Amino acid sequence: MQQLSITQSLRNMGIDPLKASVASVSELYRLPQDKLDAIKAELIIDSFRFHYENNRYYREACDEKGITPASVNTFDDLIKIPLIPIAKFKSASNHELLSKPLNAIEHEMRSTGTSGIPSVSRRCAPTIDLAVSAIYAMYREFLGISKGAGLYICPSTEEIPEMGMIKALNMLAGLLDTHRFMVREERFVPEDAIAQLTNWENQFTRHIIGPPFLIHRLLQFLKQTGQKLTLDKGSMVITLGGWKRFTGQMISRREFALLCEEYLGIPPSGIRDIYALVESNVMAIDDEHQVKHVSPYVHFSVRDMNDLSKEVADGEHGVLAILDPLALATPGMILTEDIVSLVPGESPSGRSGQRMEYIMRAPSSLEFGCCAVNLERKMDEDEKAENSCPVTA
Amino acid sequence: MFNDIIVRNFSNPTHAAELVQSTNTIELGNPVCGDRIKVQLNIQDGLILQAAYAAWGCATSLATGNVFCQKIQGTSVADVCNLSKEEIDKMLGDLEPAQHHCLEMLHNLFAKLQQTFHA
Repeated sequence: MQQLSITQSLRNMGIDPLKASVASVSELYRLPQDKLDAIKAELIIDSFRFHYENNRYYREACDEKGITPASVNTFDDLIKIPLIPIAKFKSASNHELLSKPLNAIEHEMRSTGTSGIPSVSRRCAPTIDLAVSAIYAMYREFLGISKGAGLYICPSTEEIPEMGMIKALNMLAGLLDTHRFMVREERFVPEDAIAQLTNWENQFTRHIIGPPFLIHRLLQFLKQTGQKLTLDKGSMVITLGGWKRFTGQMISRREFALLCEEYLGIPPSGIRDIYALVESNVMAIDDEHQVKHVSPYVHFSVRDMNDLSKEVADGEHGVLAILDPLALATPGMILTEDIVSLVPGESPSGRSGQRMEYIMRAPSSLEFGCCAVNLERKMDEDEKAENSCPVTA
Repeated sequence: MFNDIIVRNFSNPTHAAELVQSTNTIELGNPVCGDRIKVQLNIQDGLILQAAYAAWGCATSLATGNVFCQKIQGTSVADVCNLSKEEIDKMLGDLEPAQHHCLEMLHNLFAKLQQTFHA
């Protein structure tokens, strides 16, 4: 008798394998690598088959390459799965990406980078169900937060409701006792942030949340004014949105960590950076060793920059391809414009699965940065206009 | 989330194209959310012979481009200028609050067309 696959066994019990996976993040990270790879491959192959059968644009692209569901059967076959360039999500023809009719779409999320053209990703209700569970499970696994106060150094979702980065960070607020957004109408006043942190002292464990460039502004202000805060045992600095400033300058993670330790009293183990893409449901979050773990049911395939059909070895830089089985409304097989490497060896945290290091945006990318970079540019323009000399002649 | 007008115009964008020859171009965008619509027109003797668009942004803004082009193609600019606010308000059907910025974009498209004609 042929042995049933794990996903088929779950289905026979009336359990959705994807829902079971996103709810079992900790358990998946503790599986031997070969077992985790087998589960991941089954989920991704199912997803590939679904999009092949339901998405004409994707099916035609696959047929052109001679790849059908019959070509992809094992973990080692995942490299054959055709990828959609991420620029397609920005194109005027991005309606072709839908594998379900528009009236099945519940939510549109966007990221507007420096080109000004939004990348729009559409999610149906089942994808939202999965994404919500997945995001919270990853937050719980790597941040372990269930209480405290969040100083959000970013705009609120009320100001930019569709912005993916803010939406993801705002979900974290649901785990906290209180939070406050400190950027309003594209203005950040560091004195107000410090006053709020002081106000929460001895009431809540205080966390600071936002894109690196804005938290860096707070750190610089503390440094320049000679103020040193000592936040609480268990306080975290949680960042999302990239380390490149709109000027092109990189914020040094090492300098950032030193400033956090000196001016906030938060050690490097309390700084947790998140890598996420609005077009995908993957999250990669820093563990206590500042190493990012990829969501265990998503596969990162790092491609040779000179030959995208080939993978590079772990530790080598390449273009990130994502195989995300949670994306049900649009294919989750995406070729990004990010240069990354996979961390070789075993994780000191004891988790199996993939670990990644973000290197940079590909030089060929038309996008210089994500929505955080765009936000910083707008804030800088506004500040320059405010501070400019009113005399015009 | 999406009414039938939006679904129909998004899923079957009959005017999503680029005109090889156009007499006028209308373009508008929202600097915050990034939604952008570019409409190319071929106007001869006050008659809009062809209207085509490209749009970037949410599904409703993409549908808005198509609704606008469908309404004006084959119509005289004078007739388009005579459309009332109430008539334009109905063109996108019932919208959710998060989609209302597209109605503003639709009004702006008509306003820009009027400006182009009267310039």
